[in-house]
Amino acid sequence: MGPISHSINFLEELQKSVGLFAPETALTVTFLLAIVADLIFRRSRNVTGFIALLGFIATGALLMSNSSTSAFAFNSTYAIDPFANFFKLLILITSYLIVVISFFSAELYHGNRKLGEYYTLIIGMTFGMFILCSSTNLIMIYIGIEAMSLCSYVLSGYTKEIRRSSEASLKYVIYGAVSSGIMIYGISLIYGLTGHLGLAEINHSLNVANLDHITLLVSGMMIIAGFAYKISAVPFHFWTPDVYEGAPVTITAFLSVASKAAGFAALIRFFKVVFAAVPAQGSIPDATWNMLGSIDWRIVIAILSVLTMTLGNLVALKQTNVKRLLAYSSIAHAGYMLMGVTVMSEIGVQSVLVYLVAYMFMNLGAFYVVMQYANLIGSEELEDYTGIGYRAPVLGICMVIFLVSLLGFPSTVGFIGKLYIFSAVLSFAGKNGQNFYWLAIMGVINSAISAYFYIKIVRNMFVRGAEFDKEKFKLSPESLVVALIIVIPTLYFGLFPGAVIRWAETSLKILVGN
Amino acid sequence: MQNFLGLGPLTWITFLPLLGMIIIFLIPSGKDEKGKETSKQLFRWVTIGFTFLQLIIAIGIYLNYTAGMTGINVEGGFQFREHYNWFTVTGLPMFGNVKVDYFVGIDGISAPMILLTAIVCFVASFASFSIKKQIKGYFAMYLLLDLGMMGVFISLDFFLFYVFWELMLLPMYFLIGIWGGPRKEYAAIKFFIYTLVGSVFMLLVIIGLYFGVHSFNMLDMMDPLKYDPTSIFAPGHGWWRNVAFFALFVGFAIKVPSVPFHTWLPDAHVEAPTPISVILAGVLLKMGTYGMLRINWPMFPDSVKYFQCFIAWVGTVSILYGALCALGQFKVGKRDFKKLIAYSSVSHMGYVVLGMSSMNSSGMSGAIFQMFNHGTITSMLFIIVGVIYDRAHTRGLDDFGGLANKMPIYTGIMAIAFFAAIGLPGMSGFVSEMMIFLGAFMAYPILTVISGLGIILGAAYMLWALQKVFFGKLPDRWSGPWDPTHKIYKTDDINAVELAALIPLAILIIGLGIYPAPMFNMMNATVNHLVEFVRIGGGF
Amino acid sequence: MLTDFGIILIFFIVGVLFVAAGLFVSSLIRPSHPNKIKNSTYECGEEPIGSPWIKFNIRYYVVALMFLLFEVEIVFLFPWTVVFKQLGWYAFSSMAVFMVILVFGLAYVWGKGDLEWDKPKPYIPKLEDFVDMKD
Repeated sequence: MGPISHSINFLEELQKSVGLFAPETALTVTFLLAIVADLIFRRSRNVTGFIALLGFIATGALLMSNSSTSAFAFNSTYAIDPFANFFKLLILITSYLIVVISFFSAELYHGNRKLGEYYTLIIGMTFGMFILCSSTNLIMIYIGIEAMSLCSYVLSGYTKEIRRSSEASLKYVIYGAVSSGIMIYGISLIYGLTGHLGLAEINHSLNVANLDHITLLVSGMMIIAGFAYKISAVPFHFWTPDVYEGAPVTITAFLSVASKAAGFAALIRFFKVVFAAVPAQGSIPDATWNMLGSIDWRIVIAILSVLTMTLGNLVALKQTNVKRLLAYSSIAHAGYMLMGVTVMSEIGVQSVLVYLVAYMFMNLGAFYVVMQYANLIGSEELEDYTGIGYRAPVLGICMVIFLVSLLGFPSTVGFIGKLYIFSAVLSFAGKNGQNFYWLAIMGVINSAISAYFYIKIVRNMFVRGAEFDKEKFKLSPESLVVALIIVIPTLYFGLFPGAVIRWAETSLKILVGN
Repeated sequence: MQNFLGLGPLTWITFLPLLGMIIIFLIPSGKDEKGKETSKQLFRWVTIGFTFLQLIIAIGIYLNYTAGMTGINVEGGFQFREHYNWFTVTGLPMFGNVKVDYFVGIDGISAPMILLTAIVCFVASFASFSIKKQIKGYFAMYLLLDLGMMGVFISLDFFLFYVFWELMLLPMYFLIGIWGGPRKEYAAIKFFIYTLVGSVFMLLVIIGLYFGVHSFNMLDMMDPLKYDPTSIFAPGHGWWRNVAFFALFVGFAIKVPSVPFHTWLPDAHVEAPTPISVILAGVLLKMGTYGMLRINWPMFPDSVKYFQCFIAWVGTVSILYGALCALGQFKVGKRDFKKLIAYSSVSHMGYVVLGMSSMNSSGMSGAIFQMFNHGTITSMLFIIVGVIYDRAHTRGLDDFGGLANKMPIYTGIMAIAFFAAIGLPGMSGFVSEMMIFLGAFMAYPILTVISGLGIILGAAYMLWALQKVFFGKLPDRWSGPWDPTHKIYKTDDINAVELAALIPLAILIIGLGIYPAPMFNMMNATVNHLVEFVRIGGGF
Repeated sequence: MLTDFGIILIFFIVGVLFVAAGLFVSSLIRPSHPNKIKNSTYECGEEPIGSPWIKFNIRYYVVALMFLLFEVEIVFLFPWTVVFKQLGWYAFSSMAVFMVILVFGLAYVWGKGDLEWDKPKPYIPKLEDFVDMKD
């Protein structure tokens, strides 16, 4: 093969890849347009936001149009498969809602702050998360994480005149740098061990060679640390409460949903492609993955999961700031989702997907109401919520629905998520009679513990302060419409979860091998 | 009975309150210039109207009920069945198909409960006249609670059952928490957490059972042939089945409540407003024992036998401990009338558990009848306490005395309730307790004799309370009229609204005490079937 | 015939000569007034000798970032020029898109005023600023 034909092949590969890369390209174009628009329309503060919304719609259309595609791009460093597509769509919906919600934020629109960069960076972060969802190469994963992180560092400190916010940003950068360092060290160890960076190639090496046990364990743990940081799993959660409390509410919501989703996408892909044995050509793949190597990664994740949910729930019990409380609750939810990862099977993955959809609605909703309340009373302290349910009844009822959904109450979408996660854990039957009944029991105990602090918010909103007859707040109809837009799916999918389950089920296909 | 608008009577009776709730939400709680809510009466009458409609349907169901049909694990034995697909998702990994049905129907166990719920909700809506703040929210929550309770008793799909079971938690939390007494927050959260802990384990068992039969249909879960032999709760996996039975039993026992899970009940009762105490004692507690009969007994007949003696002990301990606690109201601390009745509920529900543990027809049907009777009798008692509490703003037993002179009609009504609670012959409570003791004596003679002490203790605390409050000398502080301005209470004695709540209950209590046959006719076939089913072990 | 390395050698020699000639010619023409500052080593306008623990003006970083950006662009351009002819219009348009994106970046930096090198007007904090602070 001469150099010319080689370069022509390369060109063909590139052309094919660019076609598959269309949604990401659309995001990039949106990003550029937003920058230019920000330069041209100096007076307007919302124009970048509207461009972002339009761009997200276009991206969504492109994603939908190739939703069933399964192909590798860019020399097998990038997988376009239904699994990635699911996460991209989820992230896109989240980004869309976050931009919409941001329009209502008094905190962001305080004074005459310029918001061009704010919306632009949201687009940038979405792009980074897209990369993370699809990467099948450790370096690509790293680039995705960094692209996403860099934007989120800036965004979490966007209200820079508020000390808390600057502090949050700085802490985020420092912890982020440490975890990226650990992860890249793990990557280098894996590379040293196998000589490969592509996930599929590493899988192949694991299959054929007997690799050093300890090195593999250490490097694997280091890479997991990088993902665990993104999904805020214990013991890599330290940044979460401070950043969630300090960042603008909209960004807190964004980090807690989208960035967590992207982290899970990468984590699941990493485990499936690297450690699950590739079924022989033409055979029906096992519903439960056959893990390679002598290390029991299920136990590792199970322990991570128990630690995460227990710590998240126990510490949340004592919180007095609602944002901080929801931060710990989001740590706990990461723990629940890790339960789904633990079993490392198709149904486990599906349960995580279902849970993420549920989590997206209910968590975004809860943060939206927190933001609206902050607009009204200028505080996120639990104490100041006394009787607020009577002063803004519609929002109050919505908040109750979101909170009981987070708690996993039947007839809300959160219940479907929990049901699926527990089902996945209970259905697991490994070799040698391994089962995870204890994990499910830990899960339900945690879910009962969590009732206390979710109900604590409800208590302050409704049970306390029913006596005072304070004036009612006037809310704009649009802000109520947004609340309803989030509350309706929370209830609808709780009663008729068919669509969510079906969507998750068709998105299980993860591309493995070449 | 005819379907109306394509929906059967059970759907109507369950979802009517939802309709009422929506209507209440739509009515603006208009305020006049003095800040007084103008729609107050409207909310009350909408609620009374809807609960009355429910009662009419319940009576219709009763009149059209065919005695002699079995139910339990025979789909054909259920009446007023409605079976629609709720949602189906096919071709899933592991799950295969997820199919959840809207499957409702009643048999001899649930029919009395439906009647009871309709009666108690109707009666308690009259007692709700004493609620003064946030009327709109109160009645909306009240109706939602009504929906949840009704739903639990009609569901034959475990998923549906769980949805209703949990659904009723939240309105109950609000009703105790917002409209309760001084320690309402504590009582409400305690109730919430206790019940939730019980129900999350139930959820795990539901999932485990689902993997066995690949359906949420309760009747399938009672059929050993439908189980996947490798699944965790399949026939033969005795240890796991016992674990599941125990988890469910604890979940239900919390609701009953049986000792040692009873501690939430006195708190909840003391703090809850009168109508909510009525519903709590009248219906909610029955959901626990109903759950055992509907789920534990037929789904795990093998484990029931294994735990039979244990359950009998739980019943006996509850009877005695509850009675002693009630009696303890005369010894230590604040002597609270309402707490007394709350503990008497623990004791009386202990009879139900004891009766169910007997595994014979008379014990079982006695237990179900006792559920119904306890519902009516305790509702009456709580309304009675509410009557004086609304007037005197205290429930201390020591604060009263000689009320018989001041309130003769009230005293008369109250005497009926007290003697029914003691189990005086001629009252419904006597019949059911006698049946329970008959049945339990056949199975566990010694335990039954010990439990008999409960009756004596019950008589002691009830008569003591009667004496304290109604006889003796009227304290000087109550010598004047309750309400000197006659703004709320025209006379010193009980008023018409309160009578409207009490009289139907009194009639039921005496009527069923003299002629209990209609109740037994309703449940005999089902109970016999259940007893036989458990006796042969259901094939497990 | 020269080998490929021979060509490189000639290229190298010509390069050295070119620079040397330039320096030599300019030294003939230019006026020569050396002083202490002119003779010191040039280090981006900073004092070349002394403690390295001095505060750099933050604008340097902005400029350095910009510089890096366009420097990296050259790295991408070099391999492209080599194969440009064989790959044709597709390669050309790809690189054009890349350049346009960079130009957007430049325009953004320019538009936001980050290329202005004005004197800083430091804000000296007053007592009230700290009193009013919430946390």
